[in-house]
Amino acid sequence: MTGEKQADLKSSDAMLVARIVERDESALAALYDRYAGMLSSVLNRILRDTQAAEEILQDIFYQLWRTAPQFDATRGSLPGWLLVIARNRAISRLRRHNPASGDELVENTVVVPTNLENAIAQDQLIVRVKHALESLPQEQRAAIELAYFEGLTHSEIALRTGDPLGTVKTRLRSAVETLKRNLPI
Amino acid sequence: MSGQHPTRPEDFDLFALGALDADEKQAIETHVATCAECAQKLAEAQGRMAILAFAAPRVEPSSGVKEQLMRQLHATAEGPGGSLARKQREPANGTSSRWWAVLVPIASAFALATILLWLHNEQLTRQLTDLRETVQQQEQQLEESRHMVELMAARDTQVVSLAVQKGQPEGAARVVYNQREGMMMYDGALPPAPPNKSYQLWLVPMKGAPISAGVLITTNGTPSHMMMKLPEGVAAKAFAITLEPAGGMPQPTGPMVLVGPVS
Repeated sequence: MTGEKQADLKSSDAMLVARIVERDESALAALYDRYAGMLSSVLNRILRDTQAAEEILQDIFYQLWRTAPQFDATRGSLPGWLLVIARNRAISRLRRHNPASGDELVENTVVVPTNLENAIAQDQLIVRVKHALESLPQEQRAAIELAYFEGLTHSEIALRTGDPLGTVKTRLRSAVETLKRNLPI
Repeated sequence: MSGQHPTRPEDFDLFALGALDADEKQAIETHVATCAECAQKLAEAQGRMAILAFAAPRVEPSSGVKEQLMRQLHATAEGPGGSLARKQREPANGTSSRWWAVLVPIASAFALATILLWLHNEQLTRQLTDLRETVQQQEQQLEESRHMVELMAARDTQVVSLAVQKGQPEGAARVVYNQREGMMMYDGALPPAPPNKSYQLWLVPMKGAPISAGVLITTNGTPSHMMMKLPEGVAAKAFAITLEPAGGMPQPTGPMVLVGPVS
């Protein structure tokens, strides 16, 4: 159970972001409690380095604090944005690219119709996503994981696995089609 | 509009996945910059691919991260360094050197006093924040207790004790369930789950497949409780706790550790 306060549990992401714009630190703390575990998990999975993962985690929430006035909740989902940013930054770190400046907070629009604002919804999504991935053939699942968690392109996956480029493209396309049918959005 | 619409809908998902090579990626970026319809499709694909993150094993950050973050917010507010740095950047405007002999000690004393005041203020702010958090935690506990009391007091609330199954480790659990509201409270003490395993609580309905009430947090035999929300109006035949792969499963696959029929 997180340390999110009872009153904040009832606040939507948009309400908390509006309070951050007013420089309310407890609103940022509430969003941290809500999403830090989710982001920490994906950062650790990509980087396999707890210290690097925690540096990026802190940096993402600090960027949210600084750029909240530019956030338009009607354009997309906050957890979706946070996940995209976390993954991009972790992969940049993994590939020794310069970390992003934080402008992506306002550049990316990410639509996640599933409401992730409570822990139960997040727990249920964990089960569904794991089930959807486990239902893929092994080689399709491996290709998806190489792309998502290691940031490899078609060509890089082909190079890594030794499979023909066309085969890799077909695997990823089939995997994505199946996930689109099976994922809850 | 720049360029053609992507020919296959999965192209947006492959873009969001980061799998496209540079030329394919560039073509989509150029196109969506001027095509609202495709920009919307890309935003949906970004969301679809983003939730693959939930396949990662759950790793909670250390408590120090949040503390450092909150300190970082304070550090960026106006502190002594900012005003002092500005003062140091101000030109001397031709003041003679003997004035410096007077002004430098005064400025130093002023800076020292400012720093001491700032440090004192920081300490007070931290104390205030700690007190505020304590009050909020107590309010939260009170609110949870109030919910529990309401749940226990409702006439249609059922209390079900779960019994350890043969061959399973010692443990105890109780479920308080209100079908009308779909509210459930778990109260139990279980031994730690084996590595890469989680305890998962299930509502077994009168009809249909078991419904997951969530993965249980175990604290080495120490009693713990959790409030859970389930679909409203589901009549329960029993409640059960099974041992599943870490993170839980959509349907039970592992051994039943505790079971309690609804009388």
